[in-house]
Amino acid sequence: MKQQIIAWVGAASVVMLAGCTQSMAQPPGHGAMSMPTASTSGTKAAELRAGLNNLFSEHVYLAGAATNAALGGREAEFKAAAGALDANSVAISKAIGSVYGEGAEKAFLPLWRRHIGFVVDYTVGVAGNDKTKQDKAVNDLVAYTQDFGAFLSAANPNLPKSVVADLVKHHVVTLKTVIDAQASKDPARAYTALRAAAGHMQMIADPLAEAIVKQFPDRVRQLDRGERLRARAPGRNLGARSSSGFGGWARRDVAAATTRAILSEP
Amino acid sequence: MGARGIIGAGSALAVIVAALVASAAPTPAVDIQVFQFQPGAVEVRAGTAITWTNRDDIEHTVTSGDPEHRSGRFDLRLPGRGTTTTVTFSEPGVYPYFCDRHPSMRGEIRVNSTNERSER
Repeated sequence: MKQQIIAWVGAASVVMLAGCTQSMAQPPGHGAMSMPTASTSGTKAAELRAGLNNLFSEHVYLAGAATNAALGGREAEFKAAAGALDANSVAISKAIGSVYGEGAEKAFLPLWRRHIGFVVDYTVGVAGNDKTKQDKAVNDLVAYTQDFGAFLSAANPNLPKSVVADLVKHHVVTLKTVIDAQASKDPARAYTALRAAAGHMQMIADPLAEAIVKQFPDRVRQLDRGERLRARAPGRNLGARSSSGFGGWARRDVAAATTRAILSEP
Repeated sequence: MGARGIIGAGSALAVIVAALVASAAPTPAVDIQVFQFQPGAVEVRAGTAITWTNRDDIEHTVTSGDPEHRSGRFDLRLPGRGTTTTVTFSEPGVYPYFCDRHPSMRGEIRVNSTNERSER
């Protein structure tokens, strides 16, 4: 049973770390990174930004739920949370693939999941009060931030590797705080930390959205023009991508759908 | 134009033709970009040297086999962007490889004994 709990905790941690790892772009106003300047206030750009924010914050909350269930020994709850968390990971990888292709999607998902293993290691270390294991997991996660930064930087030159890595490090710290608070049976501190960790994801999602818009400005402009045309002639072009935009889509699918649209619409 | 001129012109032409032929022959090369071997599968004839170039700002490796079964034929580091490494494939066969730092990165070299060579 103890091993099971440790495994759950690990998986949950992984989930949380996955959320951390996701942090790639830099937050608006972060002086260290030369941020993309393209506006995300336009319709499609705004949808992309909102969709990525939703995916990333969802990731943190699901990770926190999984970790908390694992540390509490609630197996069924943990399995459900871990499953939802992995579905979120897949959705994020699809969003990446929508922009950078199937190859990038396939490369991203295992990279993302890999860091989850380090989070699991950390959670197991916390559950077992094993400081050595905890330290190793943290070191692995810090090293991993370089890989994650390199991936995003390679995909989008508007995302400097060092800035992305720093953001992910901060995300790791915020998630670590959540896990530590959960393990110490301090729910007030745990939920405060969880809100902070989820809030931090905006500092990743916003710059990532802006970087994508900056990388593909013509696509975004074309989409916005298409939306305006469809709005003027509501009886036309009401296909899969309706004139109502992405509002009717499941929230978790918004980012993937928008990024897919950015690259696929003529 | 004298005989020397004709010979000189002929030599120059031969050099140009040789250069054109050389440039027309595709160079077996694999880029490592956005954590992918591109192309992922390459088919060459025996005796061909293949060069990998790391385009990512992170260390990758070109390691023979797969993470569960390393063949030990080669294990080469490409420590950063712009670094390259080359392997000559003398014997026909199928040579899977992967990145030891990122095991989900996989590639394959198929070596034929024929003169045919293509990239997939």
